[in-house]
Amino acid sequence: MTEPVVSRKTYALTYGGLLLLTVATTLLSYIDMGPFNMVVALVIAVVKASLIAAVFMHALYESTLVRVVLAGGILWFLILISLTMTDYLTRYR
Amino acid sequence: MTEVMLFGGLFMAFSVYRIAHARAFDLGSNDMSIVLGSLNTAVLISSSFTMALSVHAAQEGKTRRLAWFLGATIVIGALFLGIKFTEYYLHYQDRKVPGVWFETNTPDAAGFQMFYVFYFLMTCLHALHMTVGLAILLTLLGMTLLGRFSREYHNPVVLTGLYWHFVDIVWVFLYAIFYLPGRHL
Repeated sequence: MTEPVVSRKTYALTYGGLLLLTVATTLLSYIDMGPFNMVVALVIAVVKASLIAAVFMHALYESTLVRVVLAGGILWFLILISLTMTDYLTRYR
Repeated sequence: MTEVMLFGGLFMAFSVYRIAHARAFDLGSNDMSIVLGSLNTAVLISSSFTMALSVHAAQEGKTRRLAWFLGATIVIGALFLGIKFTEYYLHYQDRKVPGVWFETNTPDAAGFQMFYVFYFLMTCLHALHMTVGLAILLTLLGMTLLGRFSREYHNPVVLTGLYWHFVDIVWVFLYAIFYLPGRHL
C-alpha cells in the first residue's frame, strides 16, 4: 500500500514529549491555581491529544479532505459545549 | 465522529454537574489515586507508541516485527486494564461505588456521589473500548502469524491503529478531568 510516512525517530520523539507533558501536568496539579487548575490540565490535555492525532494518527500527513472531517468533529463538539455553557455558566449567581 | 459525540455528550454532562457542584467535584478528584492514574496514563501512551510502531512495521512489510509490536501493544493494554481494575477494587473497599453502600462525610454528599457516577460511567465506557481494542489486536496478531499481511495489504492494522490512538486521546482527557483538578487541596 503506502510507504511509512513518519520515521521511527519522530514517533520516539513524540512519545518522549507525551511522557514529559504527563509528568508536567501531574506536577502542576499540586499547585493551587484556583479555577485555573482545570484550565491548565485541559490545555495540556489538548496539546497531548494534538500530538497523538498529528503524529501517531498521521493527521498532519493526510489529505485536506481527511483533515476537514477531523476538524468537523472538533467543531461540532465545540458547538455542543459552547451553546450549553451559554446557559449553565450564567445560571448560578 | 460518532465516537466523539458519544464521549462528547458525557464530557458535556460532566461539565454541567461540575459547575453546579464545583467543591464536591474537586473533593472527588482529590480522592483519586494520583499514582495509579498517572502510571496508567504513561502505560497507555506507551501502548499507543508500540501501536504506531506496529503500523510502521506493517507499512514496511516486516511482518515479524509487526507481530512483536502487536504483542507488546496487547500486553501493555492489558496492563492498563489491570491497573484500572485495581483502582476499582480500591474504590469498592473504600465504599465509593455509587449506590446504597456509598459512604462519605463531605458537605455536598449528593454532588460528591455524582462525581463518582461520572467517574465510573466514563472510565468503564473507556475500559470497554479498551477491551474491544484488545480483542481486535489479538485477531490482528493471529492474522499476522498466519501471514495475511504484507507491504501491499495491511489496511486493518492502520485502521486499528486509528481506533487505539483515539481511545488513548479519550483517556488523556479523562485523566485531566478526574485526577488533576482537585489534586492541590
